[in-house]
Amino acid sequence: MQVSISSQDSKTLVTLDGRLDTSNVDQFQKDIAPLMQGDNPNIEIDCQRMTYTSSQGLRMFLMLQKSVMARHGKMVMVGMIPQVKEVFDITGFSNIITII
Amino acid sequence: MVKKRFNPIKDKSSEIIEFLMSSPDMPDDEALCFKLRLSIEEAVDNVVRYAYDGGIGWLEVGTNLDNDQPVLTIELRDAGTPFNPLDRDDPDVSLSADERQIGGLGIFLCKKMMDNISYRYQDGNNILTMTKKIK
Repeated sequence: MQVSISSQDSKTLVTLDGRLDTSNVDQFQKDIAPLMQGDNPNIEIDCQRMTYTSSQGLRMFLMLQKSVMARHGKMVMVGMIPQVKEVFDITGFSNIITII
Repeated sequence: MVKKRFNPIKDKSSEIIEFLMSSPDMPDDEALCFKLRLSIEEAVDNVVRYAYDGGIGWLEVGTNLDNDQPVLTIELRDAGTPFNPLDRDDPDVSLSADERQIGGLGIFLCKKMMDNISYRYQDGNNILTMTKKIK
């Protein structure tokens, strides 16, 4: 899973590429650490090339969502492939994370 | 049909998952393989992380394809602490982010992705069997 983070105006753009699973979730947590800091975050996560996530990945997105809410920010996930979207739908994560 | 016993299993989730995903019994269907990989990862990771104190122990995994149906069966067997993952209540998927607990999603995903999951404790082993109809 490749994670790239960049800033554009007041927005933080995150691009995910690959599979997020038990083998790389610890590294992923380190990679997204910068997103856990700062007031009023405005985060957009491009998921077009995220091909897979397991519950390990869901845990990370829930943790991030909670952190963003606690800092009065917003976060959206965009471009999910149908199979990944289904995982978010089944687990109710589509209701707690904004997915476009 | 393939079967293999992994020992030790600490930090070996990926190796065990890839062993099962490369079984000749796996269908040639990307969407179906996504669901199978997810179920396999959740089930395998559950044993690797929690079945044995300190992660020292073995896990035997196998696949079997019944061509008549056709139905794929995936079985996991370990000698860890007796634990029926199906006893756990499903997470409440209607809760808000604040109320949602981290965890408890893995076996729930298995249940949703597979057609059937059963657990039995036999001869000192936890045995989890998952089946999926293959088109």
